[in-house]
Amino acid sequence: MKKYLQNFVWFAGRSRHLKHSFALVVLALILLPGTARAAGLTDILTLLTTITSTIQNAIGGVLTGIQTLNNSVNNFRQQIIWPVNALNQTRGFIISTKAQYQGLMNQIHQVKNNSATLASPAQLESLYRSTQAGSIAQLESSYSTVYSPVPLATDAKPIQRNLMDMDDALAMGSLKTAVLSDQTTSGMLGLADSIEQQSATAAPGSGPMLATEAQIASLESQAYLTKVLASELRQEAAKLAHENTLLKQSAANTRNLENQVQQVLTHP
Amino acid sequence: MSGRIWKLARNMVVAVVSFAVVVMLLPTKARSQLGLDPCCAIISAGLSTISNLLSSSVAKPLSAIQQLEQQAANFEQQVVFPVAAINQARGLALQFQGQFTQMKQTFQLQVASATLPTPQQLEQTLLSHNPGSVPQVTANYAALYGTVMPATDAPQQVRNLVDMTDAEAQAAMKKAVEIDSLADLELQAAEQINQQLTTAAPGSAAILEAQASAWLVRANAYTQSAMAELVRVRSIELANRGAQLKFSTAHTTNLHSTGSQMLQGAH
Repeated sequence: MKKYLQNFVWFAGRSRHLKHSFALVVLALILLPGTARAAGLTDILTLLTTITSTIQNAIGGVLTGIQTLNNSVNNFRQQIIWPVNALNQTRGFIISTKAQYQGLMNQIHQVKNNSATLASPAQLESLYRSTQAGSIAQLESSYSTVYSPVPLATDAKPIQRNLMDMDDALAMGSLKTAVLSDQTTSGMLGLADSIEQQSATAAPGSGPMLATEAQIASLESQAYLTKVLASELRQEAAKLAHENTLLKQSAANTRNLENQVQQVLTHP
Repeated sequence: MSGRIWKLARNMVVAVVSFAVVVMLLPTKARSQLGLDPCCAIISAGLSTISNLLSSSVAKPLSAIQQLEQQAANFEQQVVFPVAAINQARGLALQFQGQFTQMKQTFQLQVASATLPTPQQLEQTLLSHNPGSVPQVTANYAALYGTVMPATDAPQQVRNLVDMTDAEAQAAMKKAVEIDSLADLELQAAEQINQQLTTAAPGSAAILEAQASAWLVRANAYTQSAMAELVRVRSIELANRGAQLKFSTAHTTNLHSTGSQMLQGAH
């Protein structure tokens, strides 16, 4: 460095215009960035400070926040929404309720209500309380034994035979429907038991699936109830129609009687 | 003039050369001026701080978050949504499908029992489960139970009563055909929803439950409508009994008046 400066002074000394040259050199030195190194260090320090601050506050703070939030959500789920103790307690409740009621209800449901004392009525009653769809084929003959078949055409008027046949048909139809309904009821009770049984080992996630199954079974049950109701409607309608027909017959008989009386009075 | 120009040019050349020499002599790189740059130490210390911060402020919470997420995932998979329980529920739906079909077949067994042609025709219509056959009820009913008697055969009051009774009896029979058909549709829908449940997820099961609930509400409404029809039939039956008592009272009053008149005439 020193050597360079000596050369420069020697060169300048030889110049006739040393003053001008010296002034230019001073100007050049002034214009050169004398604080370049100091500015670089400051920038680096500033940059490092910014990075550490960002890591510590912006990123670290947010991550800590997320961690706290996750922890809070997990605790909420495990302690408030789905606490394992409560889930197990509920499963235990289902098992105990099932044990408490199911057997008792089955016993009540299976109590026999048969009350007929004579052979033919007892047979008919056992058939229509059998809860076996296979027995409805025997129902007609047994019904006929107790309630007699429709009289022969020689023994009753056509309108009377038709009324009797229709009454019998709807009565038998309803009895058959009752047998089918009883069998379906047994099936439905079985489904209810299965759902309850599975509820006792279900998880919160499978619970809605079992609830849906129960709703579907309930819909089926409602549909069969509607069918039984339709049968009752037919029966009640036939009863009403029967009474009405008797009234019509009565009016016709009265008219016939009047005609006959008039004929008798006209031709004494 | 040329001398002054020459002098000026010479001065300028000297100045430029001096400036170039100074610039050339100046250090081109800051680091080369003082040997080992202090920046290195600062940068090294800074990077070390950053590394420590990444470990403590980033990696540590991230690790904790991962642990929490893992714990949450385990809890959901083992306690809330265990695959075994979900598959078991699907299996139940599959098992029910078979039982539903069996029940439907049971209820499809024939219950028709009439033996004579006219009752058979009416019974066939009543058990048809076909709303399209509802208009046939009127003709079949009239063939079996007759129509309202002519005006010459009965007083208007009696004819009104008979017509009203026929109307309600027929309406109840028509309603029975309709609700039989509706019940069939409800059973079909129930089987379809159940079929869907066999492949449902816990999340979609809740949607199916909502649908099944809606169908149940609908079914209840139809049952209620059938109950209303039953109430009407029984009301008409009761009204008929009341009307017969009224007619009987009127006849007794007439008989009493006529008897009194006859007795007064005899005196």
